[in-house]
Amino acid sequence: MKSYVLGEFTEEAALVAAARSLREQGWAGLDAHSPVPVHGIDEALGLERSVVPLIALIGALTGTVAGIAMQWWMNAVDYPINVGGRALVSPPTWVPIAFETTVALAALSIVFGLFALGGFPRLHHPVFEVEGFRTASVDGFWLSAEVEPARAEAAAEALRKAGARNVSRVDDEEGT
Amino acid sequence: MNAPQIQGGRGVVTRAGGVALLALAATGAGIALDPQRALWAYHAAFTYWAGIAVAALILLGSFHATKARWPVVLRRVLEAIPRTLILFLVLFAPVALGMNKIFAWVDPQGSGLTGELLHLAHHRHAYLNVPFFLVRQLLYFGTWIVVGGLLWRWSVRQDAEKGVGLTVSQRRLGTGALPLLAITLTFAAVDWQESLDLHHNSTIFGVYYFAGSFLSAVAVLVLALYALRREEPFRMLSADHWHALGKLLLAFTAFWAYIAFSQYMLIWIANLPEEAPYFIHRTKGPWGAVGAALFLLHFVVPFFALLSRDLKRDPRKLAFVAAWQLVFHYLDIYFTMFGGLMPAGPQPHWTDLTALVGLGAAGLAFGAWQLRRAAPVPVGDPYLQDSLRYQPQ
Repeated sequence: MKSYVLGEFTEEAALVAAARSLREQGWAGLDAHSPVPVHGIDEALGLERSVVPLIALIGALTGTVAGIAMQWWMNAVDYPINVGGRALVSPPTWVPIAFETTVALAALSIVFGLFALGGFPRLHHPVFEVEGFRTASVDGFWLSAEVEPARAEAAAEALRKAGARNVSRVDDEEGT
Repeated sequence: MNAPQIQGGRGVVTRAGGVALLALAATGAGIALDPQRALWAYHAAFTYWAGIAVAALILLGSFHATKARWPVVLRRVLEAIPRTLILFLVLFAPVALGMNKIFAWVDPQGSGLTGELLHLAHHRHAYLNVPFFLVRQLLYFGTWIVVGGLLWRWSVRQDAEKGVGLTVSQRRLGTGALPLLAITLTFAAVDWQESLDLHHNSTIFGVYYFAGSFLSAVAVLVLALYALRREEPFRMLSADHWHALGKLLLAFTAFWAYIAFSQYMLIWIANLPEEAPYFIHRTKGPWGAVGAALFLLHFVVPFFALLSRDLKRDPRKLAFVAAWQLVFHYLDIYFTMFGGLMPAGPQPHWTDLTALVGLGAAGLAFGAWQLRRAAPVPVGDPYLQDSLRYQPQ
C-alpha cells in the first residue's frame, strides 16, 4: 500500500518554492497539479527525463525491422512474384513500406506506452479522492508526495511547514 | 533596448576577403591552365554556395510566413546570408563567359556529342540556348536580390522606426515571395545542374537541390551563430534556441533523404531508357561508393546523432554536426555534377578546393560586412522580447 499526502497552495511561486524545499528535504515521489502550466516546476520537482522518447525509438526500430522482414519473407520466400524481371530480393521496394511500419509502430508505441505509464486500466489517480482537490482544475496549485504509510504524518508536517493548506492524506488500497 | 554593434567582425571581413582573393586568383590561374576542368570546379562551388544563399532566403520567408517569433533574435544573421546573392551575381561572370566549356549543349558538335545525345541537344535548343539561358539567370538573380534586399531594408529600417507596420510588410512579402523563390530555384537547378547531363531527366531534381541547400542553409546559420555566440546580443540565445535549430537540421536531414530516395526509387522502378542512365553510373564502381557514403554519412549517421536532445541543446556539438552536413552537401553536389561528367569515377582537381574555398570565403566576407553595417539583432521588432523568452512546452 502507498499513501499520498497532498496540500494546496494559492500561488504558482509558492508551489514551486514548496516543491523545491520538499525535494531538498529528501522527499521523493513528488508531483504537482495545477490548472495552468507552471514555469520551472519540472526543475523544482526534479523530474527525470521522460522514457517516452525511448519507447518511441524502440517501437520505430521494431517497425523498421519488422517491415523489412515481412516484405522479404512474403515477396521472396513465401510467395515469390517476378515483377518486370526485377530481383526477388529488391531492397528499394522495401523502403516505402518499412517507412510506414516504422511510423506506425512509433506512434502506436507512444499511445500505448502512455497508457501503460499512466496506470491504465485504472482510470483515476488516488489523489482524486480528496474532495478539495477539484480546485486543481480551477485556481488551486497542489503538491502531492507518494510515501510509505508510516511516513505520511511527517510528509503532511513538511507540507504544512512549506505553507500548504487543506493538507490531506489518501491511503491507496488498490495500488501496488 | 539597444544592441551593440558586432565588435569582432572586422578581422573576419578582411581575413575572409584576403583568402577569397587568393583562392579565386588561384582558380583563375587554374582556368588558364585547364579551362574546362577548372570551370567545372568553379561551377560546382558556385552551385553549392549560391544555392545555400537562396535557401537561406526561403528559410527567412518561411519564418515570416509562419509568423514565427522564436527566431527573431537570430533573424538579422539569417537576413545577411541572402545579401551575398548580389556578390554571387557578379561571381556568375566566369560561368557565363565559360559556358561553352561547361555545358555540352552550347556547342553540341564541338563538345563531341553524338547519336542520341546530339539529337537531344538539338531538340532542346529552343530552351537550352545561350541568350535565353542568360536572360533566365538575370530573372532568377533579380528575384532573389529584390526580395532579399527589401526584407533586409525593412528589417533594418524597423530598428529605428519601431512599430508593427514593417513587420506586416515583411510578413506579406516573405510569404508572397515563397512561390516565386521556389520556382526560380527549381529552374536554376535545371539550368545549373540538370542541363549538364542531357540524360538527366528527373522531375524531382529541383526539390532535391532545394532539400540539400536548405539543410545547408540551416547549417550555415548554426555555424554563424556559433561563431557569434560570445558577442553581447547572442549570449541571450538559450538552449531552447539551439534546440529549435537542431530540430530544423534533423527535419531537413530526413527531408533530403526522403527526396533523394524518391528520385532514386522512381527512376529505378520505371527503368526508362531516358532516365535510367543517371543512376546506372552513379550506383556502380567509384560513384556507387560515393553514393553509399552519402546515404550513410549525409543521412544515417547525422540523423541518429541529431535524435539526441542533449546534442541539439549543446551549441558546440550542434555546430559540429552542422559543419559535417555542410561538407557532405558539397559531396552531394559533386556526386550530382561529376557523376555525369566523369562517368568512370571522381577525378579530384586542385581547383575544386580553391573554387570552393574562394567562393565560400567571398560570401563570408560579404555577409559579415553586411552584418556589421546594422544592429546584429532586429532591435525594433515588437516580437524580440517574445523571442528572448522563448521556452517551448
